[in-house]
Amino acid sequence: MTPGRPGTSGAAAAPEPGTPGGRGRRLVPAYLATGGRERPRGTADFDRLTVLVSTDQRPPEMDFGPEHRRLWTLLRPGALTVVECAAHLGLPVSATVFLAADLVGGGHLLARSPVPKAEAIDRTLIERLLVGLRALP
Amino acid sequence: MLYAFIGVLVAAVVGGIWSGLRHVRDRQLVRMARTTVQTAEVRAKNAEEQLRVAIEELRFLATDRIPAAVLALTHEHAPVPGLLHPQEANATLAKAMRDVLSATGAAAAGERDRVDAAARAAMRGATAKVQSLLYQTQSVLQDLQHELDDPRLLELDFRNELALRRIQATAVLCEAWPGLARSDSPLAEVVIGAQSRVAGYARIKMSNHLREQRLAVVARAAEPLAIAVAELLANATSYSHPDTAVPVTIQQSGGRGALIVVDDGGIGMDEETLSRARRLLAGPEVLLLTELGNPPQAGFAVVGRLVRQYGFSCHVESSPYGGVRAMLRVPAELLTVLDEEHTLSVLVPAPAETAAPARPAEDPADDEGTVVEATPLPSRRRRSPRTAAARPVAPVPPAAEAPVARTPEQAGALWGALQDGTRSGRSAAGSGTTAAGGTAAADKQGDNPS
Repeated sequence: MTPGRPGTSGAAAAPEPGTPGGRGRRLVPAYLATGGRERPRGTADFDRLTVLVSTDQRPPEMDFGPEHRRLWTLLRPGALTVVECAAHLGLPVSATVFLAADLVGGGHLLARSPVPKAEAIDRTLIERLLVGLRALP
Repeated sequence: MLYAFIGVLVAAVVGGIWSGLRHVRDRQLVRMARTTVQTAEVRAKNAEEQLRVAIEELRFLATDRIPAAVLALTHEHAPVPGLLHPQEANATLAKAMRDVLSATGAAAAGERDRVDAAARAAMRGATAKVQSLLYQTQSVLQDLQHELDDPRLLELDFRNELALRRIQATAVLCEAWPGLARSDSPLAEVVIGAQSRVAGYARIKMSNHLREQRLAVVARAAEPLAIAVAELLANATSYSHPDTAVPVTIQQSGGRGALIVVDDGGIGMDEETLSRARRLLAGPEVLLLTELGNPPQAGFAVVGRLVRQYGFSCHVESSPYGGVRAMLRVPAELLTVLDEEHTLSVLVPAPAETAAPARPAEDPADDEGTVVEATPLPSRRRRSPRTAAARPVAPVPPAAEAPVARTPEQAGALWGALQDGTRSGRSAAGSGTTAAGGTAAADKQGDNPS
């Protein structure tokens, strides 16, 4: 699946002066996915690495836009993280979170927070332990 | 002596006659002089009267007629009064005053055009600078959106886009170039892009009825069309209730053109406003900033200017939704079809025909590229399997729960099964009858051994 990035689809072929990276001006901005809201629905905290899984409930047409359905379809084969979904949809992570939160709120997706990194053991403590062990007679 | 007497007498008589004659002539002279004086008096009186009328007319010209004529330059319905005393006024004077009036009007119009052109030039310079700064802001924001996950960046991007639309519209009114080179852009993306530039964009519901999803607007008309559609959408959203939806339909028209229809359920326009809007939308040759009213209503004027420059056309009428319906027609020469590699943005609504596909998602027939239309009427369609890359639509999520309509293959299989059944039934029955006939014949043969 190679969806076009909104940043590049419809972009001018000639680099426009004044645009970093030489991209033309985008035609379809990502904020359309927010539907005019300032915050994503619900209180769930989405991370870049939050894993999304689709449930069997297909999002109904009247309540969800095409981008919601594409995200749901994208997740049919298996779980993906938010950042992967964003790359597939060609949207920034912030906009993808809006879509994911809507679908999670409607019960069409499940979100699982990333596994927290195991508490890193303090290296100095281990070194001190090593020193202590070596110091043993 | 007698002769002397006669001479005196004759002289007296002649003198009397002479004096009598002179008296008569004098009286005639007096009479003539009197008439002359009378005529002169009458003339002087007439002249005085005419001067009075002329002064009154001149005063009226200065106080009423010239201001009215100047006002009529901007308000074509403003009446310009005629002479105060049309019966009494001198014809030459009346003509001279008409000349004064038209010369004043022409001078005022020339001056107004000059001032307006200067104002436009000043605005053009200012908008060009602001526009370029806003584009730079937009690029930075877009880069930031991919680096940071703060939703406020999206909000900021939207505000920036709103400002850009205003500046762009002003620039177009001031005869500037729309200021952006694009490549050929899909029509659906152009309309979605226009939607994103409007304050109430969440209320705008676009339905996509394009037969060819890769139908695109040629490069030079892409940005102008986006600006025009954005202005129509802005009108529709700002003149309708914030709770109502603004339906937008894009479709291919009977010819090879395309049609964008914007409806609103707002307050609508009366006949006079409609005709003014139509005049603006027709793209008048000269459009002055001073004609846009106060506060300036620029939407239709912007569309009209773009219509004139790029060759699409726009029509407004009362909408069945209650407000105004604006129809923007894009002629075939401004359209093209993109190649197969081009994928549409995920935010573009799925085409209406495939929005409720009949197949479940996992159906392998999905790859055959046959497009199931929601129309109840049967229609011919392409049956030969195309490659997956040749699908006309970027991945469309098919609806599993949608009411199951038959695909052509299923219908064909069903009909084939029915025919098979009929054939097998007939053949079975046929063999039965031939068998029965055979026995009957055998019976006959048995009955009639001779």
